[in-house]
Amino acid sequence: MNTRRRHGPRSSQEGVYTGPSQTQFQLAPPLETPRAIPPVDNSGMSCRDRTSEFQSVCKSLQGRQNGAHAVKPVHTAVRQRSDFTLMAKRIGRDLSNTFAKLEKLTILAKRKSLFDDKAVEIDELTYIVKQDINNLNKQIAELQTLVRFRNSPNSRHLQTHSNTIVVSLQSKLASMSSDFKAVLEVRTENLKQQRSRQEQFSQSAASTTSFHNSSLSNSVLMQDDSKKADISIDMDLRSSQQMQLINEKDSYIQDRANTMQNIESTIVELGSIFQQLAHMVKEQEETVQRIDSNVEDTQLTWTSLMPKSSSTSSRSPTTAGCLSNLPNPIIFFFVFVLFMS
Amino acid sequence: KTQVMVWNFKDRMLNFNTPPLKNTTAEPVWKVLIYDRFGQDIISPLLSVKELRDMGITLHLLLHSDRDPIPDVPAIYFVMPTEENIDRICQDLRNQLYESYYLNFISAISRSKLEDIASAALAANAVNQVTKVFDQYLNFITLEDDMFVLCNQNKEQISYHAINKPDIMDTDMEVIMDTIVDSLFCFFVTLGAVPIIRCPRGNAAEMVAVKLDKKLRENLRDARNSLFTGDTMGAGQFSFQRPLFVLADRNLDLATPLHHTWTYQALIHDVLDFHLNRVTLEESLGSEAGARPKKKTKKSYDLTAADQFWQKHKGSPFPEVAESVQEELDKYRAQEDEVKRLKSIMGLEGEDEGAISMLSDNTAKLTSAVSSLPELLEKKRLIDLHTNVATAVLDHIKSRKLDVYFEYEEKLMSKSTLDKSLLDIITDPDAGTPEDKMRLFLIFYITAQQPPSEGDLEQYKKALIDAGCDLSPLNYIKQWKAFTKMATTPANYGNSGVKPMGLFSRVMNTGSQFVMEGVKNLVLKQHNLPVTRILDNLMDMKSNPVSYFCPSFEIQDTIHSSIPRNKNPFQEAIVFVVGGGNYIEYQNLVDYTKAKQGKRVMYGCSELFSAAQFMKQVLFTLYRLHYFSLPLGTFLTHSKICKVKIKITSNL
Repeated sequence: MNTRRRHGPRSSQEGVYTGPSQTQFQLAPPLETPRAIPPVDNSGMSCRDRTSEFQSVCKSLQGRQNGAHAVKPVHTAVRQRSDFTLMAKRIGRDLSNTFAKLEKLTILAKRKSLFDDKAVEIDELTYIVKQDINNLNKQIAELQTLVRFRNSPNSRHLQTHSNTIVVSLQSKLASMSSDFKAVLEVRTENLKQQRSRQEQFSQSAASTTSFHNSSLSNSVLMQDDSKKADISIDMDLRSSQQMQLINEKDSYIQDRANTMQNIESTIVELGSIFQQLAHMVKEQEETVQRIDSNVEDTQLTWTSLMPKSSSTSSRSPTTAGCLSNLPNPIIFFFVFVLFMS
Repeated sequence: KTQVMVWNFKDRMLNFNTPPLKNTTAEPVWKVLIYDRFGQDIISPLLSVKELRDMGITLHLLLHSDRDPIPDVPAIYFVMPTEENIDRICQDLRNQLYESYYLNFISAISRSKLEDIASAALAANAVNQVTKVFDQYLNFITLEDDMFVLCNQNKEQISYHAINKPDIMDTDMEVIMDTIVDSLFCFFVTLGAVPIIRCPRGNAAEMVAVKLDKKLRENLRDARNSLFTGDTMGAGQFSFQRPLFVLADRNLDLATPLHHTWTYQALIHDVLDFHLNRVTLEESLGSEAGARPKKKTKKSYDLTAADQFWQKHKGSPFPEVAESVQEELDKYRAQEDEVKRLKSIMGLEGEDEGAISMLSDNTAKLTSAVSSLPELLEKKRLIDLHTNVATAVLDHIKSRKLDVYFEYEEKLMSKSTLDKSLLDIITDPDAGTPEDKMRLFLIFYITAQQPPSEGDLEQYKKALIDAGCDLSPLNYIKQWKAFTKMATTPANYGNSGVKPMGLFSRVMNTGSQFVMEGVKNLVLKQHNLPVTRILDNLMDMKSNPVSYFCPSFEIQDTIHSSIPRNKNPFQEAIVFVVGGGNYIEYQNLVDYTKAKQGKRVMYGCSELFSAAQFMKQVLFTLYRLHYFSLPLGTFLTHSKICKVKIKITSNL
């Protein structure tokens, strides 16, 4: 079977689009087997899928070539992935899992009911999310060292690719951390409100018990003769109830205080994550550009690029230098954190 | 439309043309984007590097560059299906650079080239790695929501000069027409609408119309495989009415490309280096000390859809722009002061009750200030950008007295009374570069009812030559005027004029960035340029359109004639100028559309040129007319011919 090659108008210049393709015209040459005309992608998109056509072409070509040479072993589509990619994908997966947990936590923390306060669940979930974030942070740091370690001179594209992945993971983590922080703030607000309401509520309760006490003491005195033992027990009961109430109040307050402290410490830890992110973003290239802004760079020779890239990576800023480079929002964030504590 | 294109990119190509899965628990997918220069021009006005990164693209590379293998990453290609590109793709397949390949061709790939890739893939045992092959039909560049250009890389091929040169061969013309038609076809496929085409007779625009009509008909003939199915029509999100497509030829109006302008975007294009929505300024650093030359750096700014100031003011008259920049600066400073005040309050170590309560209030304020900081910084960046750009434009206006030119040309075009003579402006050494004077004179010549007398003409010519102008474009214009027979009915440029509102000296306060002393504060009154007038007549189906140039329009329907012709006024139109256009025309159409409720108009042209670039093309056309035996290269190397005084004897 000979395929008839259809030539469009060609120009002598290379790289110039010379003319329209012939594929629109559905004039199937009689010698070719009628091929399935690729359908238009019907999901409302104005493009044409030529994949099936391509595959049928491959099959027909392969059929002709089969006798020609031995068939090489077919590469599987999923190739041996490097450690880096596997790790990066794992981190990505963990990120999305943690994100789901965070969403759940957000819903819980937003509840404002006084009695159905799932404090235990919230605390647990908070703890889990905090651990996850710390883990992820460590993993990403490991990933970054892996990238640095693997700094082979021949693969500048691979290096850029890896760096970009690390930065994107880190920034996803940072945005999740800030969401987490927001959730904790909401929770703190709610706790404050609950406490104030609780206080109101328990104050009125305390006043009624004291009233009861005084009336009871009257009746106790009156009944003094009859039942000394009962009275003392009664008194004990009352006082123990009162004690219990006070204890409850105390422990309640204590709990809240603990939670608040936990939240504050978490926020401080999150701050370190932000710091790391800022560090990495500075190392990366500027992303406000368009894709054609480095046109001049790409025309530079390879050798002139090398010292440029090594100079940027060898510049490892100290913490102080890093802090001075931090963008203003981070500075304000620190101020805010200090104020909170 | 930009939105359609960006949507195409994001949801389709960059997500491997699979419908986006609604899942946040999937693994992230990272990809590499590879494009040729055509693809680069298409993508760069639309998506920034950050947006690409958000979509998971870690690297963006040119096809014809040294690329290292990244074996565990899928690669998305976005290229034109040329011989060279296909060869490179085959080479990539052989070198096993990436994990999988998603090939997207900007315009449809031919069967034979598809076979080339297939055989290379077979040889490299990479058939399974070529996961998708798509024709994207995106062979045009969208610069604005309602403006597009055909191409940038090889625009010399379809330039005004290429189309109008007198020694053009039929085969060349075929190629040019095919290129234009292919892009227009892609445009309509992406738009999802089959237009009703109107064009004038007897020039390049008609050729384009005929070919485009044929291509659309052929595609529609096979309903099963048409690219204009009901779904795509729906995606076009327009009314059921088909849009009007007006094809105009540059030769109907040569004054507008030469016109001086007064609106922000058009000014930037005219006086600065403005290209694919990016303006490049030369800023000089360094002191004036001694003999050390000032270092000049080039700084580029992108003018994007996200820049609200730009979107609001790109069509505004320049004085309004200057005022607005000043206003924005003042507003920003107020906000900055507020944040600083909060900062200083935070420093209070308060035992003071009042301070503490103030502190808790201010916490909330500070939180909002912190979260609004990125916004504030972005605003500052944009204000700086526009301050620099507007200052550069203002420098040009002041040194060349562009306000004077603008006003005079408007009067010429609208046939108002002139308050000073043309000769005065030409002989004034302070007003404008020789190029400006030439532009002015050409507009005078084009719009004159009667050609000037011999004596007057000689006087003008002498004055122009004394001012350092190159007179060669004049000969071309003379020829053009003769050919198009416009001597009897020159294009009507509208009846309104320009009202000067006095000099600027006292309008701006002393703290202003922009010292516009001595610059006239001109207010534009809307008037329609020739292209706009044609559109107006066609859209409203006026029964007796005043024919400005050619007596009849050829009406081409692209569906079987059994379907009745549209009797209602069109709601939607696309205007395309074959031979090139500019931002003045675009702005005129935008202003016209704003005045008409519910109408949508898009503007396209085969290339965008500033007046300087247009004059250069006209120059080449003339030279080729006389010296076509010389190789073109000798003309391309020059840049000084325009500045050399040439005495050309008029031989027409």
